[in-house]
Amino acid sequence: MVVVESAGITDVGCKRTGNEDCYLVDDSMGLYIVADGMGGHQAGEVASRVVIETMKSYMERFQDGSVVEELEDEDLDLTREANRLLASIRLANSSVFSISQSKESCRGMGSTVSAIWFTGDSFVAANVGDSPIYLIQGDSIETLSVPHTVIAEQASMANGNAIKIDEKFRHMLTRGMGVIETVDADICENQCFNGNTFVICSDGLSDKLTPDEILDVVKDAKPDKACQDLVDLAKERGGEDNITVIVVRVKKVKRGSGFFSSILKKLGLS
Amino acid sequence: MPILQLQFKDKIISKYRVEKGKSIKIGRRETNDIVIENVSVSGRHAKVEWAENGGFMIIDMNSTNGTFVNDKMITTHALKHGDVISIGKHRLIFGYVKGEARPEVEEKTEEEGWMEKTMVLDTEEHREMLAKTAEELRAKITVDKVGILSYLTGADGEFPLTKKLVKIGKDTANDIVVGGFTMGKVAATISMMPTGYQLSYVGGMTKPKVNDTTVKESVKLEEFDTITIGSLKAKFILKG
Repeated sequence: MVVVESAGITDVGCKRTGNEDCYLVDDSMGLYIVADGMGGHQAGEVASRVVIETMKSYMERFQDGSVVEELEDEDLDLTREANRLLASIRLANSSVFSISQSKESCRGMGSTVSAIWFTGDSFVAANVGDSPIYLIQGDSIETLSVPHTVIAEQASMANGNAIKIDEKFRHMLTRGMGVIETVDADICENQCFNGNTFVICSDGLSDKLTPDEILDVVKDAKPDKACQDLVDLAKERGGEDNITVIVVRVKKVKRGSGFFSSILKKLGLS
Repeated sequence: MPILQLQFKDKIISKYRVEKGKSIKIGRRETNDIVIENVSVSGRHAKVEWAENGGFMIIDMNSTNGTFVNDKMITTHALKHGDVISIGKHRLIFGYVKGEARPEVEEKTEEEGWMEKTMVLDTEEHREMLAKTAEELRAKITVDKVGILSYLTGADGEFPLTKKLVKIGKDTANDIVVGGFTMGKVAATISMMPTGYQLSYVGGMTKPKVNDTTVKESVKLEEFDTITIGSLKAKFILKG
């Protein structure tokens, strides 16, 4: 069991009239998602909302433990939990895709998705697109997501043979939700510890603040204050895009598999 | 001199002779040598230049939608016989005339039939080309970084860390099972993160050690670290 303190806000920004971002903060499920929609007219708003709602309702079905799904194309290199989160992303992808195929006004819409799910004493992080997920531990910040942009994928070539690409490719995604029939999310899972702080945001924030600046704002602030300060900073610096941010801080991790807890359990003390 | 053949879908629109010392500009504007009238083509999209070795190069001029050669996005590329250049929905096929001298780097390719290729390019294909380019790059990165636990004691051989999360502990459901009275059901995990491998303590009285330092939470693994968990002792090695 993980006890967390969380907050999330979305802001239309300074230039746009509509908000294509959508997010979910659900402490009871331990599920946190940011989706950044794209596509003309209102289609981007539809895409990000469909992503969030589909994932939420899928994950809710398994909360009480009475329903255990039969996962299609389960990846045996991942835990059951990671597979479940991936399944919800795949389902959300096909929901967006089928709507974009059937409704003329929604053609070509898509969305990013970045999600954190706490399970037992660990977390699963998954993403499609360029909405970053950061993990702050003490004075360090690391990126848990893998940006699916042309630029990032070229630049990450380890041997320095990366081709320099023009800045205008900055937002050209190599993967998106609802763009094609299937989607492959990047995923990582690990133990979580007291004080770990997770930040999920849309590029409206990550374009304006470096990871180190985000670290400075978040590390000593309460999640709700941190969210507001981050959004305010992004708006001060132009706020051309919609801005969404979720901050989740781990307050307590209760471990079930320890030596003492198993003895206590046997003695009926826990 | 080689020829560039402009095609739209399966229709041949025109042919252009490529000459030494002369650059051929390709784009939407009238000022180009090869004018492609399509919104997806930039005003100045790309150019073909004669190279020092006697061959020819295609260079993308910072176009909005990119230039592709044989489905791969390029900025510059040395043209070979039969190369298919995609610009928006149009294709340009580069080829030498039979018997013509080619630069030495030239590979021998199928001579017959290249002019008859049928091509359709839509936005979906464009997207897939981009995805494919990125996919290949990613494959290179991950292959570089496969961690391996090379056992020193407690077991024989090695354990490749190909799973995202490897669990170590007493319970038989773990990936690596280590016995012991004080060993947790799951004592530790090794997680593959975007920035590298991390070892974390999970539970039980036996805490993992990395280079004789007890791990209470989580540490990043460096190559040649020695990991000790109860009776298990292993070296962390990266194989590429």
